[in-house]
Amino acid sequence: MLTQTSLYGKLYYMKDELQDYMHRPKRYDNIDGTGEMYMGLMLQGFALLGYLQTILPRDSMWRTNGFAGLLFMYMILIPVLALGYLARRMIKKHITWPRTGYVAFPRDKKAWWTGAAAAGVLGAVIGAILAVGFACLTMLGREHHGMMSLARAGYLAFWVLGYAFWIWRMGRVHRWKWLVLLFMALGLFAIALVVPGGFIELSRPVMLFVGLTWLGSGMATLYLYIRHNQPPAPETE
Amino acid sequence: MNEQLRAISKLDRVVHEPGRLMIFALLGAVKECDFLYLLHETEMNKGNLSSHLARLEEAGYVEIEKTYRGKVPRTLLRLTRAGRVAFDQYRKGLKAAF
Repeated sequence: MLTQTSLYGKLYYMKDELQDYMHRPKRYDNIDGTGEMYMGLMLQGFALLGYLQTILPRDSMWRTNGFAGLLFMYMILIPVLALGYLARRMIKKHITWPRTGYVAFPRDKKAWWTGAAAAGVLGAVIGAILAVGFACLTMLGREHHGMMSLARAGYLAFWVLGYAFWIWRMGRVHRWKWLVLLFMALGLFAIALVVPGGFIELSRPVMLFVGLTWLGSGMATLYLYIRHNQPPAPETE
Repeated sequence: MNEQLRAISKLDRVVHEPGRLMIFALLGAVKECDFLYLLHETEMNKGNLSSHLARLEEAGYVEIEKTYRGKVPRTLLRLTRAGRVAFDQYRKGLKAAF
């Protein structure tokens, strides 16, 4: 009986270990901080878009919500995202793969399209719910000041929770990231105190600050990765 | 023998060995990887890892491809279809044991 219990205990431990090992390749994808840097760069792109729209004349066609506005958004975001993609690829090729190994993830086209469609639908639904929610809170905020403050706090908490989720999921080995999270929370709190207005006014400095924090965190991860991992001497395998 | 013990006894011995199970878990989540990556993640020594991979190749579970990146040799590794099936069955078997 004792032997059987011990056998189950060992198997149970093995099952947990197995789960952990199966998640390692995903975590490995951000071992060099490139995932965070990419996210940071993307947010910088959105911040840039927001600031460019403020300096455009009020009647400019690029500021409209129509096709021109959408085109303007793509004109800004696509080069930023392409730059991020290329930088990530270069870092992987010249720094990560020679040091700790090459990994390619499966690209099942059918699964990719299904996933992309599901993510698109889910994103649209969540976006619509958030937009309606924020619009309602903005309207209510005009009458009740407390509601607007609550909505702004919710908006800022979204960024803090997003980064916390990332640390928990991808960067648990770097405990210092929890301090970065604290820095982000304090920074956002300070921005909320200084910047008046609704979400649009608040979103520009927030995107800039959050993007810079992600970028900085990714760069620090890359620095630590390079410091702790030297490329091995070439020899037969 | 009860149901659970029977389920355990049916587990594939080639997969069940802890070192090889680590390799299966890592290769199961990727399309392909190189020897260096497995060495880094499993923390085995080169000889140990090579012997496990040779055993898995012999069983038809892993495909090993020797290539070069510039002048540096690189060993690419991936699970074969039989390897993926064996790993899936092993996981189902393990689940059944509980």
